Formats: sequence, structure tokens, C-alpha cells
Amino acid sequence: MRLRQLHLGDATTFAIVALVACGFVSLLRIGDGGTTLISIGPYLQRVLIFSFVQAGLSTLLSLGLGIALALALARRQFPGKEALLTFLGTTMVIPTIVAVFAVLAVYGRNGWVAQSLKSLGWTGSISIFGYPGILIAHVFLNAPFVAKVTLDGLNLVPAEQWRLATSLGFSSGQIFRHLDWPALRADLPGLAILVFLLCFKSFAIVLALGGGPSRATLEVAIYEALKVDLDFARAAWLALLQVAICVIIALALHGVVSRPPAATTFRGPMQRVDAADYRLKILDSVILLFGLLFLGPLALSVLVGLGSIPDILDLDLVGALMTSLTIAAIAGSLACSLALAIGAAVRHHRIAQASPRWAALLDLVPSALLAIPPFALTAGLFLLIRPWIDQARIGLILLPVVNGLGALPFAYRYIAPRLMQAEERYGRLSESLGMRGLARLKIVDWPMVQRPLASAFALTAALSFGDFGIIALFGGPKLRTLPYLLYERLGAYRFEEASALGLIILTVAFLLAQVSSRLSHAHD
Amino acid sequence: MLTIENCRLTWPDFTADYSLTIDEGTLCAVAGPSGGGKTTLLHMIAGFETPECGRLTYRGRNLLPLPPSQRPVAIVFQDHNLFPHLSVAENVALGLRPSLRLSAAEMTAVLEMLDAVGLRSYDRRKPGDMSGGQRQRVALARALISGRPLIVLDEPFSSLDPQLRRDMIRLVDTLRRKRNVTVIMSIHTPEDVADVAEQMVLIIDGKVAVNGSPAKVVSCIYDRGSSAKPTS
Amino acid sequence: MFSRIVFALLSSFLVIGTALAQAKPVLTVYTYSSFAGKYGPGKAVKERFEAACNCQLEWVTAEDAGSLLGRLRLEGTNTKADVVLGLDMNLASEAKSLNLFALHDMDLRGLSLPVAWTDDTFVPFDWGYLAFVYDTTMLAQPPKSLKELVENPSGPKIVLQDPRTSAPGLGFLLWMQKVYGDQSGNAWTQLKPRIVTFTKGWSEAYGLFLKGEADMVMSYTTSPAYHVSVEKKDQYKAAAFEEGHYLHVEIAGLTRTTKQPELAKAFLAFCLSDSFQSTMPEGNWMMPVKTPQSGLPQAFQDLIQPQKALLYTPDEVQENRRAFVDRWLNATAR
Repeated sequence: MRLRQLHLGDATTFAIVALVACGFVSLLRIGDGGTTLISIGPYLQRVLIFSFVQAGLSTLLSLGLGIALALALARRQFPGKEALLTFLGTTMVIPTIVAVFAVLAVYGRNGWVAQSLKSLGWTGSISIFGYPGILIAHVFLNAPFVAKVTLDGLNLVPAEQWRLATSLGFSSGQIFRHLDWPALRADLPGLAILVFLLCFKSFAIVLALGGGPSRATLEVAIYEALKVDLDFARAAWLALLQVAICVIIALALHGVVSRPPAATTFRGPMQRVDAADYRLKILDSVILLFGLLFLGPLALSVLVGLGSIPDILDLDLVGALMTSLTIAAIAGSLACSLALAIGAAVRHHRIAQASPRWAALLDLVPSALLAIPPFALTAGLFLLIRPWIDQARIGLILLPVVNGLGALPFAYRYIAPRLMQAEERYGRLSESLGMRGLARLKIVDWPMVQRPLASAFALTAALSFGDFGIIALFGGPKLRTLPYLLYERLGAYRFEEASALGLIILTVAFLLAQVSSRLSHAHD
Repeated sequence: MLTIENCRLTWPDFTADYSLTIDEGTLCAVAGPSGGGKTTLLHMIAGFETPECGRLTYRGRNLLPLPPSQRPVAIVFQDHNLFPHLSVAENVALGLRPSLRLSAAEMTAVLEMLDAVGLRSYDRRKPGDMSGGQRQRVALARALISGRPLIVLDEPFSSLDPQLRRDMIRLVDTLRRKRNVTVIMSIHTPEDVADVAEQMVLIIDGKVAVNGSPAKVVSCIYDRGSSAKPTS
Repeated sequence: MFSRIVFALLSSFLVIGTALAQAKPVLTVYTYSSFAGKYGPGKAVKERFEAACNCQLEWVTAEDAGSLLGRLRLEGTNTKADVVLGLDMNLASEAKSLNLFALHDMDLRGLSLPVAWTDDTFVPFDWGYLAFVYDTTMLAQPPKSLKELVENPSGPKIVLQDPRTSAPGLGFLLWMQKVYGDQSGNAWTQLKPRIVTFTKGWSEAYGLFLKGEADMVMSYTTSPAYHVSVEKKDQYKAAAFEEGHYLHVEIAGLTRTTKQPELAKAFLAFCLSDSFQSTMPEGNWMMPVKTPQSGLPQAFQDLIQPQKALLYTPDEVQENRRAFVDRWLNATAR
């Protein structure tokens, strides 16, 4: 019997799990010991049901719109498409409060829609508080991301299969069935989990647009326990409950659909044969028009900050920008390295060691991380490292670490599938050539992973760049990021300057994505 | 007879200009260095590339205006021929009916075809579970079952080991005689087909450099020495 | 070359910094971030105190009053805080139960607070009344009492903060409780149709109000002063309610673990001095607990002056908060 080889990625995963577990244990220990297992009373029950329903609906709608957009975009070529694709990758980064204000600026009581209707002589009143508001905001934030990831997946269908489809005379329906759908199905479970978790944890949006205290998620209860009741043990238990729910959902989705073996070759932009189908032309026009009408105004409303840009240009802004960029770069690198390590370990166990169960377990770790409430994680880590580190520096260390861990699931989604592909394609070859370790990484993996790594870095850096959750805990006169400046203004009645900052945050995120896509294309 | 007359295709850094005839029922091997224009020739015949000028006819019929699906051509690529989510039988059936709604007789034909390539018992397998050689046999079965008289194979067996490669070429040879189809096959190693092909063309820099019997072309290749190595 | 210059600069900073730090004792004050932030009074307070004490004041910040308390709880007796500035009365009892604060030993008579101050642990440093703020160009006739707001079915739409996550949100919950007592559940049910939403914090609610999503927003009587002083807009007003207004008092205290109790006490005394108090109105947009010599700024003099302060004691809040919140949840979460 061969001893199971321990992979570097295993160690990394253990380290992450241990770090998180220690954080939880410290939180539990600081509780007075009087806390027992929480019971799920009627309040929690209501919160849980609502969380499920709103997250489920948000996921369905985000996936629906995102996939429809991706298919329409895959079939159509038009000027400005590249910029549009870059934009799609950035909506996720919008600070929640900016998203809330954007939704209201368009669909609110005095929003653009209401004003246009009124100018047409309509006398009613619009209220989107409740499900409509929550769903609009969640779809606005997530559907473009879904579209981006799905489109990347669609582009991986090998050119040979497209030629075969042409040669065999596939109809549009058959093209969808045999080319698009298998590609979509490969991405769906992962994406669904990601979007579901994000919506399940959504907090400020749900409260602001929910319209009533029944519209609260588990994250609200955790926040309450942590910040109002100061019942850290309860917060930790609630957080564990959330992790458990999310892991179960992730497992269920993993079980329903497993990733079919990847088979891809690179191909340049190609004219799809089904682009000529007039029914699809109509469908795509409807989808793109709907997407434009729905997302366009929301994105445009962020531009209202333009007028106040001159008011915020000062040295503080430059300093905060530098701080934000530094933290984002560290968090992004951390997330990408961890994703690489875990991805490599999963691959190692699935293929070389043929232990798919262990691999599936490792595969779950990044998703599970997403389920951990950042407040609870931060508080736990704070307790852990406080004895050894100077007060003033704690924020500097925890900020990139927690942001990096939070962004890991996203990086992982980009990187892990490509690592697997590299193995499926060149694994036996490199094995027979005796390529191992760094040489193998450089020659076999690097060329395959380079592009997704660049995309992952841009996204994770941008996510960390837009983070407010953690900086709120550690920010202060000495540690200020751009989102911190934004909230500082919101707290001081300066709403217009805040919207200008929101615009700057988005612009930087957009530029990050743009640069990364340039860099990653340069090597093709 | 397939006739190619002065078909010209240009890219910023490459120009191809083909003239060639291939007799009915023969096996024509296409050799030449990588990047020399073998695949472009085959893609043009199948309809994936359109020449700017020239004529492409089969049995006197102009093929150029026809889309790939209406040409009398079935194609097999080096890789990615099969749809991983469909079973082996379904992959073959695509050649008969892309809708996969098959009559009982058509289903029987699919199974017989699988039998002919030696994969009768594999009908329910998924391509992911099969070896590279087996996958190419499935692709070959699909090309044959489509009933199209021209079969284009683009380096179909280059990734297989030499022994398996020769076995596969023998299989192609047997089947094309039995079903009386014309085969155009690009290859990496001309020696493999020397005893089965009636015709061989050497394509260099987008042009037909040598055209004739395999023996003639092979000897030409070695006469040319290092200036035009057939394999890269 | 470049790196050498940077190194030289950095090391000289370090040397100077350490020298300065060694020369003067450092007083560490925990506060909420907007107090020490760009627009808060923190900078002026630091300068003025350092000028008088021959020491160095260092701000350590947390997001808000709740986080401040959370941080203290996490740190326990290892805390580096000498003074904690910026808790509010609703948290006072919880703060005391941490057993971290020392008595202030100060005479707190004669403060310009609407209530007599008797607490021996915490020193109040500013205060304000909660109030609904509205735009006079949009709402001509605001309700004149809380009862009118609650009981008029065609009254104005309001936006509130969630009492589970926000200080003014909790304040308004207590206000409703003070006015309606055991009937507060019914009152919430009556008011509910006109509540646009309960936001996570003050900022979201105020932003929603400015965007026109609601006619009135829960804020402070001092909010209009900001619009007048900074934006030169006078259309925003606070609505005066007959039943009185709930009082919000911000407090400071010194820790019993401090290594420099004298300095900490000096700072608490400084909090009641003219140099500190004069920064409160237009720095923190709250009322000073001692009216500065120069008087209040004009914008503050024009504010509504509620006649009656409503207030629960900190112990009552700690005891009943859970029950009050549950009652609110039952009435509104349907």
C-alpha cells in the first residue's frame, strides 16, 4: 500500500481551516460559558425561511438574466463589446450602499422611471421596497458577473466542435443542446452556489430595501449578537449555522451536477453559425435591449457623482487610493496563491492519487469560506493575534488577510478548472517526461493558468478594493481606504461627495479589470 | 472526381493556391510540413474556408456556394470530434440525424456501423471513458454513416502510437473499399500510407509541390533533403 | 540610490518619532471613527489638549459606539485604552458590567443637559434630541406629536433605522415605548404601513430621505443646522412633538486599567472645558453639555427646543431591550 502523499495545497487548506477554527474557538471561549447551543426559535426560523426564499429567487433571476445575456453576447459582435464585457466583471465590486442608492435613483419613488411615467401623465406611486427592491439590487450586482463567467465558459467550446456542428448541419436548437448547454452546465453549479451564498449573506441591501424587519438575513442576527448583544458565543454559533447551511447547499448542488471532463482548445473569436437564425436575432435583440434597459440606467446613475468629483480631490484621496491599492494587491495575491495551492491539491488527489472524495472535500473549502460572516471571522482572528501584535498594526494585517480569504472562492472559480484541464491535457505527457515541481508548473501549468490567474487577480483585488465590512472595524485616522472615505462622508451628511467616491471606486475597479484583460490577452 | 482549380486564399502572412484532382474511390494522402497549408486545403474542401477565386467541383457540381452541411463531405479532426455529454451511439447517430430522433432501422444502422469499427459493445459508453484510438474510430463511424461520398480526415491518428496508427489506417482502407468512398487524409508520416494510398500530394507553402504515387512523393521528399522536411 | 534616500528618511523619522514619544507620555483614547475622522472634532480636540497637557494624545477608533464596546469586551483587562470617549447612555449599563471603568470623581453639577446627571462612572460630553427631519418644500404640515404621526393613516411616509443595528433606531424604539408603554405593539402596527423601511444605519436612512424615498427621517434636532451652516440650505427642519423627544447623550469614561490615571482624569476634565465643548456643535453636530462662552452658533439657536426630555435609565435599557425589540419584531415583522 502506498502512503498517501501530502500535497502543499493540503497543508494550505489545513492552515486555513485551522485559522478559521481557532478564530471561532476564541470567540466561543470569550463568551461567559453560560451560552449553550442556540435553539432555532420562531424568530430565527422566519429569518432562515426569508433568507432561503430571497436568496433562491435572487439566484434564479441572476442566473437567468446572466445566462441569457451571455448567450446573446456570444452570438453577436458589435463595437464596444470588449468594454462592455469588462464592465460586466465590475458591477460586483460596487459598495452595497452605492448599489442601494443606484436602485432608488432609477426605480425609487422619485426615480427616473417614476419621473418619466409622471411626465407622461401617470399619477400613481411606485414602491419597490420589499422583494422587488431586494431582487433588483441583487440581480444588478450579480447577473453581469454571471454573464461574464458564463461567456468565458461558452468560449471554451473547442473550434472543432463548432466546425462539426456546421458540417453536420445542426439547427440553432441542436447547437444549444450539444455545444452551449454542456458548457453552461459545467459552470452552473459553482456559479449558483456563489450567487446563492452572496445573496444569502446580503445584509445592508436587504435591510435598506426590504421594507420591514421580517426581511432580515441570518447575517443580521449575527451582527446583532456581535455588536449589540456582545454575545460572541451566540455570534459564533450563528455563524457556524450559516456555514453548515451553505455547505449543505454547496454539497447538494455539487451532487446534482458534476463537471463533465473538460475538452478545450483555444480559439479566436469566431462567427457562430446560429448567428444567422432570424428567430435568434429577434431573441438576442430582446435580451440585449432588456439587459441594456435594466442595467444601463443603474450603471449610469452611478455617474451622478461626477459633479462632486472636484470637491473630493485632495491629499487624503491620494493616500486612501494608495492604501486601497496596496491592500487590494496583497489580498488579491493571497487569494490567488491560496486558490492555486488548493486547486493543485484537488487535482493531485483527483488524478494522481485517485481519491476523488478527498478532492471533493478540499473543493468545498473555498465555498465554505464564503459562508463565514466576515465580522465573526475578523473578531475571531483579532482575538487570536492580538497578544502578539501591536494594536496599531492589527488592521494592516487583518485587512488583507480577511479580504484575501473572502475573495478566495472567486479566485478559485477561475483557477481550479484550468489547472484540471492542464492536467487532463498534458498530465500523462509531463509524467512520462518526468516533469515535476517547479519545472512542471512553469512549462505545463503556467501557460494554461496565466489568463484565468490574471482575471482572478483583477476580480479579487477589485473585490477587496470595494470592501467596507472589514475596514469599518479597523479604519481610522491612520488607516483609510477609499470605501472608508465614502462612509466617512455618508456619516457627515456629505452624500454628494460620497457618490463621487463611489464613482471613483468603480472607475478604479473597471480599470483594474481592463488592465488585467489586456495583460492576459497579450500572451495569446 | 474532385477538382480543385486555382483556389486561392490569402492572409496577411500567408497565401495558398491549390490546384488538384482526386479520382473517385481513391485514398489521397496529403503530406507536408506543419503550417504549410494541409489543414487549410482540407477545411476549404469541407467548407470552413472560402477561396477568393478558383473552382471547386465534385462530379461536375460546384461546391463553393454550398454551406458545409450541404456538401458531400464528412470530416474527422485530430481531436475533439465527440461531444462528451453524448453516448458513443448518439455521437455516431448525429451523422444520420442531428435531431437524434432515429427510427428503428436507423438505430440498427448505427449499431452495425459501430460493429464495423469494432466498437459494437461500446454503444452506451461516454467518450470520456475511451482511449484516443477508440474515440477516433467513433468519429470515423459517424463520418461513414452520414453517407457522404467524400471523407476528409485531418491528421486523424497523429496522436496515436505508430503501431496503432498503422492499424487505424488499415481500418480506414478496408472500410473505404467496402463502402466505396473517396478519402482525403492529411498525415504526418508518409511512410504509414505508402502501401494503401493511390495518390499522395506534398503541400509546401500553400502550393501543391509534388503530386503522384506515394512512392514518387516519398522519394521526392528524401531527394529534397533538408530544404523541405516532411515532418517537423 | 533611491532606496537609500528612503531608508535614510524612514530611519530619521523613526528616530525623531521615538524621541518625541519618549519625551512625552501618551494618552490612548478610544473613540468612534467619525469623531476622530476628517469631519469630526478629533483634530481640534487633540491639538488643544496636547497644548495644555504636555503629552501626546492618540486616537484608536472603532466603527461606532457599539463596536467600541465590542472591542473593549474582546480586549478585557488587556486593553490599551486610557479613556473611552463616545459610548452612549443606552450602552452605559452594559459598559459598566464589563467592570473596566473607574469612577470619575468629578463634580458634574451645572451642566446644560436637559436632565440632572448623577452617574459616577461616565461623564457626558455632548447630547441631542432625536427628531424627525423633513423638507419644508415637500411637506408643509408635519405632524405635531408622535401620536398624530402614528395614528393618522394618511400621514407622511417615514424611514427609520433598525433598532437591532443602529443607535438612533434603538432610540426611536425607546421613544415609542416611553409614549405608548404596553400599547407600543399596537402603535407599531398602526405606524407600519407608513414606514418605508428600517435601514442598517443612520447614513442609509438619511440618504433615502434625501433621495425623496420618504417624507421624514429619524435623525437629530441638530441635523438642520448642518444644512444651514455648511450647505446654506434652510428648507430642512426637525418636527417638534408635543410628548417630548427622546434624549441621546454621549459619554466618556476612564478605564481602571490605565497606567496614567492622572492624565486620563485631566482629559475627562478637559472634555467639559470650553476648548472641547466649543468644538461639539459644528464638529460633532451635537449640543454641548456646557454652553461655550461665545454662545451657540446661529444655526443652533434657530433649532427647535423640545420642552420635555424622554429617557430610560441605562439599567432599564439593559434589562428591557430584548423584550422591547421582540415586541417591535412581533408587531412589524409580518
